[in-house]
Amino acid sequence: MREETRREAVWQFLTYGFILLGAVTTLVPLYWIFVASTLEESEFLSSTDPRLIPGDSFLGNFEALRARENVQFVGRVGEMTQYVDLGPVYFAYDFWNLWNMGAIESSIFVAGVYTILSLLLCSMAGFAFAKYDFRFKQPIFYAILATLILPIQLLVIPLFLLMSQIGLTNSYWAIILPWLANPLGIFLMRQNMRSIPDALLESARMDGATEFQLYYKIALPTMKSSLAALSIILFLFQWNLFLFPLVILDQGKYTIPVAINQLVGAQRVYYDQIMVAATLSIIPIFILFLFLQKQFVSGILAGSVKE
Amino acid sequence: MSRITLYTVRKEFGSGGDKILAVEDIDLEIRDGEFLVLVGPSGCGKTTTLRCIAGLEDVTSGRITFGDRDVTGLRARERDVAMVFQNYALYPHMDVRRNLGFGLKLSTKLPAAEINQQVEDVAEMLGIEELLGQKPKELSGGQQQRVALGRAIIRDPEAFLMDEPLSNLDAKLRSQMRTELQTLQHELDVTTVYVTHDQTEAMAMGDRIAVMNEGTLQQVGTAEEVYRDPVNEFVADFIGSPSINVFDATVDGARLDGPGDFSYHLSETDPVDGLRTVRVGIRPEDIQLVDDGIELGVNVLEPMGNENFLYATLGEQEATARIDPTNRPQPGESVSFAFDEAALYLFDPETGASLKTKRDGVVPTTPDSIPNREGVESTTGTGPDTGSNDDQIEETVE
Repeated sequence: MREETRREAVWQFLTYGFILLGAVTTLVPLYWIFVASTLEESEFLSSTDPRLIPGDSFLGNFEALRARENVQFVGRVGEMTQYVDLGPVYFAYDFWNLWNMGAIESSIFVAGVYTILSLLLCSMAGFAFAKYDFRFKQPIFYAILATLILPIQLLVIPLFLLMSQIGLTNSYWAIILPWLANPLGIFLMRQNMRSIPDALLESARMDGATEFQLYYKIALPTMKSSLAALSIILFLFQWNLFLFPLVILDQGKYTIPVAINQLVGAQRVYYDQIMVAATLSIIPIFILFLFLQKQFVSGILAGSVKE
Repeated sequence: MSRITLYTVRKEFGSGGDKILAVEDIDLEIRDGEFLVLVGPSGCGKTTTLRCIAGLEDVTSGRITFGDRDVTGLRARERDVAMVFQNYALYPHMDVRRNLGFGLKLSTKLPAAEINQQVEDVAEMLGIEELLGQKPKELSGGQQQRVALGRAIIRDPEAFLMDEPLSNLDAKLRSQMRTELQTLQHELDVTTVYVTHDQTEAMAMGDRIAVMNEGTLQQVGTAEEVYRDPVNEFVADFIGSPSINVFDATVDGARLDGPGDFSYHLSETDPVDGLRTVRVGIRPEDIQLVDDGIELGVNVLEPMGNENFLYATLGEQEATARIDPTNRPQPGESVSFAFDEAALYLFDPETGASLKTKRDGVVPTTPDSIPNREGVESTTGTGPDTGSNDDQIEETVE
């Protein structure tokens, strides 16, 4: 074997080894969470006999999770309270009473609404910062970026006061509105939208497009992959929010992270139930990622290489 | 179709101390159906002028009218003009069909079927029917160029504005598109303003050429006018390839003394009366190699096939000559040259204004001698190919 090819082979081996190491360190904890959710608590906490093979206690753990009084993780059918007589069928129209939302539904609802609204806002702001000239553009942009360094912990009290003043405590809007103008999202959209050639927009202007049509007929479609990437970032951000939802929401409206926190009791930590809850909470993200994966990867790379 | 008139149009960028004057008080009339080429070096303000006409830039002062309609305050989409951009600016997420139809969809209330019909007509006219389903990135440069043209044509606008539309094509395709574009413009008979930095392109394509420099309009005229009778040294230097040879000479009565052993007796001294120095210009094609004349030191000889370019020194000065291909002086040798006084250019050393231009009895074409556009019909029958093409165009455009 020639010296060069050998060096190449070694290099390739190291590269793959490194990637493998990264994959293992990411996936092993996930796998362990999954395995633990299928075992009795005593089994996976055993120090003498650690288990890495899934057991058959998942449903039992899940039932235990559902039976809990202080946490409603998955929604359940409530007492039917109001009915409409539609002839032979009684129809419950009070949906919210009929279906008591659990933490999973709350999280999906909140993260979904947040993602859509924030995408809209961030892309509009990004478009404006990238393609328009206006007074104090730079200072405003840097001010928005500067908010990135403010930790949420610092904002909890002022935000709580603000929300209670406008009557939004214990409302999903309270955890959606404050982060709608996501600085990271605005920054990403602005960076990506700068790559839209001015001539493209001018060409559309000549073709008779209004400024808003430029945004949604030209800018948005060309930014599809960046939007996909950003939607995952935004969804995850909202999905993982913990402190503020804990403070502002009442028990019935808890999102997943807050609900999981309730499983840590004063006397006991319900590891088995936490593991089930964690496993379940990964599923929606997993599905979303599968859905957007292709777009996501190309979006993150967009603009990094000149084509 | 309409006449475009610029009244003292001025465009400044920035404000206060950083103010940049891009276009300085331009007065220009572009006739109905005319193909006017705006030409000048980079940064001369030609593109800004075009963008002001398009409505993509606001003018700082002055007025722009299309026909009798004052469009100064109107936005681009209200002006009914179409623009072809240097990089084509095709919508990357739309296929060719939607690219072509986009303007009609936004600016008219035509039903989808009608738009589709027009898209197909224009595609047929440009020979891109089979590309309608493709995305811009799947097209070659020439095909993209056609789509960009089609997008302008389909709107049937009052004017075409073109910003260096051919500069991204390779040389062969460029000259082919040049002809095609001209034919198309003549047949559609739409007022066209075409921006280029390439003086060859300008001379080849324009009914008239407007030469710009540093934001000001230097001269407007036919290719021959600006070539034979430039208003100043800048225009003389910019138009013509290779460029005119210009050097300083001292005036002593009727005698001009220049670099090296350049010395010439003017038979007519009117242009240089009262001057102590003058700028002398001789076009490369007016340099005739003779046995006894002014000496040139040969540096490089470039054979072009049909002629040779001779790069030489006249004293300390660089000089270029276009000579017969059979004449092959070697580098290091000396040659002698002479010229006709009729072909001599003289410029004021301070203002650069022309004191004397080419006067060899040839009368240049003037704007009034631009071929009448009604002649389109008479030319339709001349070639078998263009004939059938014209018919299609007539149908589709009406």
